[in-house]
Parts: sequence; C-alpha cells; structure tokens
Amino acid sequence: MTQIATSDSVRADFDGIIVSSVDGRPMQLERHQDEFWAEFDDPGWNGPPEARPRITRQVVMVTGSHHQNIYWYATGHERTLNILPAVYLLHEARWVPRDAVVLHPPNQRVATTDGHWNAICISCHTTNGKPLLSEPFGSVPINQQTVATTATEFGISCEACHGPAEAHVQINRNPMRRYREYANEETDPTIVQPKKLDSVRSSQVCGQCHGIWEFFDAKAERQANTAGLPYRPGDELRNTRFVAQPTVNANTDHMKNLLLADPEFVRGSFWRDGIVRVSGREYNGLIDSPCYKDAATAERTLTCFSCHSMHKSTDDPRSIDEWADTHQLSSGMTDNAACLACHETIEADVQAHTNHTETSSGGSCYNCHMPYTSYGLMTAIRSHTITSPTVQESIEVGRPNACNLCHLDQTLSWTSSHLNDWYDIPVPELARDERSVAASILWLMKGDAGVRAITAWHMGWQPAQGVSGSPWMVPFLGELLGDQYDAVRFLAAQSLRSVPGFEEFAYDFVGPVDDRIDAAVGVIQQWSTSSFPDRYRLPRLLFNANGALDITAMRDLFDERDTTALFLRE
Amino acid sequence: MSHVPKHTPAQLIFASRHIRFGWWSLLVFLTLGLVLEVFHGFKIGFYLDVSNATRRLMWTLAHAHGALLGIIHIVFGLNLRATLEMNKSNISLVSIALIGASVLLPGGFFLGGISFYAGDPGVGIAIVPLGAGLLLVAVFLTARAN
Repeated sequence: MTQIATSDSVRADFDGIIVSSVDGRPMQLERHQDEFWAEFDDPGWNGPPEARPRITRQVVMVTGSHHQNIYWYATGHERTLNILPAVYLLHEARWVPRDAVVLHPPNQRVATTDGHWNAICISCHTTNGKPLLSEPFGSVPINQQTVATTATEFGISCEACHGPAEAHVQINRNPMRRYREYANEETDPTIVQPKKLDSVRSSQVCGQCHGIWEFFDAKAERQANTAGLPYRPGDELRNTRFVAQPTVNANTDHMKNLLLADPEFVRGSFWRDGIVRVSGREYNGLIDSPCYKDAATAERTLTCFSCHSMHKSTDDPRSIDEWADTHQLSSGMTDNAACLACHETIEADVQAHTNHTETSSGGSCYNCHMPYTSYGLMTAIRSHTITSPTVQESIEVGRPNACNLCHLDQTLSWTSSHLNDWYDIPVPELARDERSVAASILWLMKGDAGVRAITAWHMGWQPAQGVSGSPWMVPFLGELLGDQYDAVRFLAAQSLRSVPGFEEFAYDFVGPVDDRIDAAVGVIQQWSTSSFPDRYRLPRLLFNANGALDITAMRDLFDERDTTALFLRE
Repeated sequence: MSHVPKHTPAQLIFASRHIRFGWWSLLVFLTLGLVLEVFHGFKIGFYLDVSNATRRLMWTLAHAHGALLGIIHIVFGLNLRATLEMNKSNISLVSIALIGASVLLPGGFFLGGISFYAGDPGVGIAIVPLGAGLLLVAVFLTARAN
C-alpha cells in the first residue's frame, strides 16, 4: 500500500547516502528532519546523455512495506508523481535499480513515466482515488496537462472493502442500536460485509484490486478519471470493467481490442493455457479454479474468505506479524484443514490420496494444488488457480508441475509414471530429454525467464532441497548467475546461498558484468573442488559415466532456451 | 478560635470503615496494575494485540478508576475524622454510594474488557454509568457538607 513518506514509513537511510545502483550518475539522498530528498539524473531528459541535468526532488510517498520500499517524488508539475530510479529491498537492506526488481527483458526499460502513479497505481493504492488528468494518460505529455489528483485516504482503508460508510457512521452513533445488533447477531444493513456477500460478489471485493482488468472503453476511463472507479463493494464487478480471463474471454471483442493496442497484454500476465502467472492477481486464479467455478453449492464455493481474513480474529493465538507473514491466512488455514473442510472423503485417509506421509511436504494440499508457480516481488508465489499437477502442463504450457518443483532431481517421465500409477493420469508422449534429464534442469536451461526464475527459487526451497538434495544444483545455479534477466540472477544467487558451503557467497546481481562472470566462474571452481557425494552423479542430473558434469549436454539444452522477451506484469 | 467538629461515634466508625476500605481497595487495584504491567512485559497478545485494544483500554480504566476511588475512600475517611459535619443519614448515603461506585465503576470496566464486540466493550460496561452516578451523589453530598 502507499503511505505518506514519514520517518516510520521510509525504511531506507536517507541521511547523506549515495546510491550508485542507478542508471547514470549516483543518486544522492538527504534527510532534512522529517523530509526526504533525492538528487539524481533527470529521467525525463531526451537530449544527449552527456548533457543530462541533475534534479533534486522531495520524496512524498512510499509504496510497499513487506518486500520493497518504492519511493515517489513530486515532479514539480502540479500533483504529478514519479518513482525514484532505485528501489530499496527490505530483506536485503540495499538499493537496486528500479528496473531490476521487475522481471523484464534486459534491453527494455521499465516504465518510469511521470504521472504513472496518478493514472494507474492510484486506483488500488488509495481509497477513492481520482486521477483528474485533463487528458487520458499517455495521450498528451503529462507536463502539458492539468494534474489535480485527489484521494480520500492513502492505502486500503475501511471504505475500500466495506463501501461508502457515511450512513453507517451516522446511525451507529446510537449505542443502543449497536448493542441490539450485537445481541441479535444481526448483519448491519448500512454497511457491506464482504464475507457475508454471496460467493461471487464476496471475492469480487478483493478482485477489484487483485485482478487483471481494463476499462470497457475510453468513456469509462474518463468517467473514472473524474469520479473515481465506479465499482463499490457488493456491486457486480463485471458491470463496470472488463476482467481479463483468457480461459473464458480470449476471443471476445474486448480482448481482441486490448491485444491490438497491447500485443503483450495476455502473455505478460498469463501462461499459455490462460492461467494467471503473476502475483497480486489472485482473483484471476480463483475464478479459474474448479473449487470456485464448479462448486456444487454456494456454501461450498471457494472465496478469498475461505482461507484469508482481513482482520485477525480475536481468538487467533498468533501475533499480528505472524498472521501477516502467512498472507493473512485465517487461523487454522495454514494446513490441510483449509481444503479438507470441503473434501471430506479425503480427510478420512489423507495419505491414501497424497501417497505421501501426512507430515511431509508432499502431504500438503497447498504444495500439490497451489504450487509456487506465480512470480512477483522477486520471489515465487503460490498459484491461486487450484489445479492438480500434470506432466501435460509442463510439456504443453511450459509451466513447472508441482511434483517436479519438489522432486527437482527427477524427470518428467518419472513423474508421469507415478501420476499414472496413483491417479490413472495417462502418460503423455515425452521427448528424449524429458525422459532422461531432470525436469528442473530442463526448465533452468530451456525455459523462459519466468520459468527460470521460479525454478531457481525452488532450488532454495527447503522442502525441495530436503527431497532432492542440493549439492548437484550448484553448477546450474552458477550458470544462471550470468542470466540476462536481473530477477533470475537474484533468485539464483539467493538459492545458491542456501546450499551448504556457499552461505557466504558474495555476488551482486546488478554489479558489473565482469564481476558477475568472475563470481559465476568462482562458484563452479569451488564446487568442482569440493567433496561432492557420488549419489548425485546421475545421468539425469547431467553427469556422464565418469561422474563429471556433462558440459556438452548442458550447452545443448541451453541452445534450446526460450529467449522470447518476457515482461511479467506483476 | 478554631471550629471543633462535633464527631459522633457513628461518624468515627464510618471514617475507619472508609480508610480501611480505601487501603484494601488500593491493594486490589494496584495488584491489578501490576498484573497489567506483567502482560506488557511478556507481550501477552490476549492483552496487547491490536485486535484486543478494547480489552486493554477497559482494563486500564478498571485499574485507574479502582485505584483512584481507593484514594477517595481514604480521603473521605480522613475528612470525616478531621472536619466534616454531616448527619448520620447523609453519611450513610455517601458511604453506600462510594462503596457502590468502587464496585460498579472498575467492575464495569473490567467486565467490559473480558468479552467485547468489534469496537465496543462487553455489556458489563452498562453498570459503569450507575457507578458514575453514585460517585457524583457522594461527591456532591460531601462537597456540600465541607
């Protein structure tokens, strides 16, 4: 969420700090009491690079409080905002270039246009935000427009989810009325309680921000620009916006028009089969889930509130931080109970269904049916499209399947054989390397940047390391240290540091190319001279008969890499 | 020549009763304060979590009102013993009102914090206004007699 820049919300040190991780000359940060200032190269400069001027601007707002602090400065033109050229990573306690935190093609700049926040971000990062731009964003340079942006409150405040509350506040000044409602356990008709809406509209309250959508037409954009988005909690979301759902509306005129204007609209957010692949868009995942769309009754329909609660309940023994760390899962929803509430037949004997012990990672409903196949915020996120793992999804769509995201050392053939034995899923026809090389290696070597990022993250995932071992991963993660995509390099280095012997591995994923290459070479050298258990010297992990790494096979796979440019729109 | 109050035996009995009640009351509510401090010290979520802010407020109020009322009892007893001229029926009324306030005010706040609703205390809070009314009566009668 977005907040005013204060000493509480600004987590980075601004006190005379020089940030060199930016495009151009270093950014200079200063703090003057409770004000935060930055001096940097003018990102809007279109003249010769050597004449690029420096600008000094005040940071006025901050977005993000869990993973990153993104800082917004006042450009000086009316109420226009833009983003600082560097972002502060909270866990790593370091600055990185703005572009580096988004999975984007190396030769393509991430949009840092003046007014982006005013026109786009405002809709979900404030309550009752109104862009109030005199012309549609992008049609006229913003500094030639009137920018009178307003918001009622920053962040997601009460009315974002509960709807307009003036009448509710007025009528509930009467304590007798309040206690009568408590006593009768009545639902207050003067306010929307998202959890008590029907299953469709309940999730749409969350979907207003956690979904991928577009205006129906230019007129709708202008109306929202002036009056704010027309959707109010409890409304039918699709009445006022086009919710992109390629599994359902790929061939509609709206989608075709969107693709004409923006050919990457679908590819940047969805897998080839139409399942959403980016974080923050969980509503799109939900509405494609059988637990939502095929539920027999309203009571058994999956909604956001089936698992999540937006206010920690008073009987939840966890602390606020613990609850928040689980993405606000309700008490008791962090384990299989979440699914078994409806799947009673499985509850009787979970192990018979999973073929894994109940306490193992393979015995977790979440791990198999909601694997970490979405990407965002420089990490892998659980898919919110409830699916059952298949090898078919990996060979046809390119999406890593849940089995091999844990059994990283096994082939697709191994997985298809087990799925056939256990669930009668037909064994698909597999190519030679799909039968002979571990699936994770195929994904790392041949997959697109998103697949590489997800697989690299799983190589640092403790359950996967526990099942598959980790020493054999080092050369493959080492190879990714030279990846063209910043996000892939970041995740590869992060996972590498979780492998015994590499905990202190020094590597800057946005450092100079030569340093990165040196680091990657150093990793391979350290690994090749370390004692490495023979049990991992397997052909499917690309070790030849002599127990040495089969560099030729590795290179052959690399040559088949999907190098299509990918920009994941998280 | 200074005015010498006309004490009656009943007045002195009431004075002793309130001084004794006040000290015991202080002991009870200062102990409650200590328990609340322990909750702070050990970061007890039952008391400190944001979702339990109503409980925290109610119990803090119970502690504060109970302790302050204990002091009022002691002051009233000393006042009665030293200078106060009040007829027996009024003393009796003030005594009942003060003791009632000492039970209802902190008791209501405490009950209101045991179980509560979203932003409102539990129904136990309903006895707080009764206690407040009794306290006002006691203070009024005492002020008039001084």
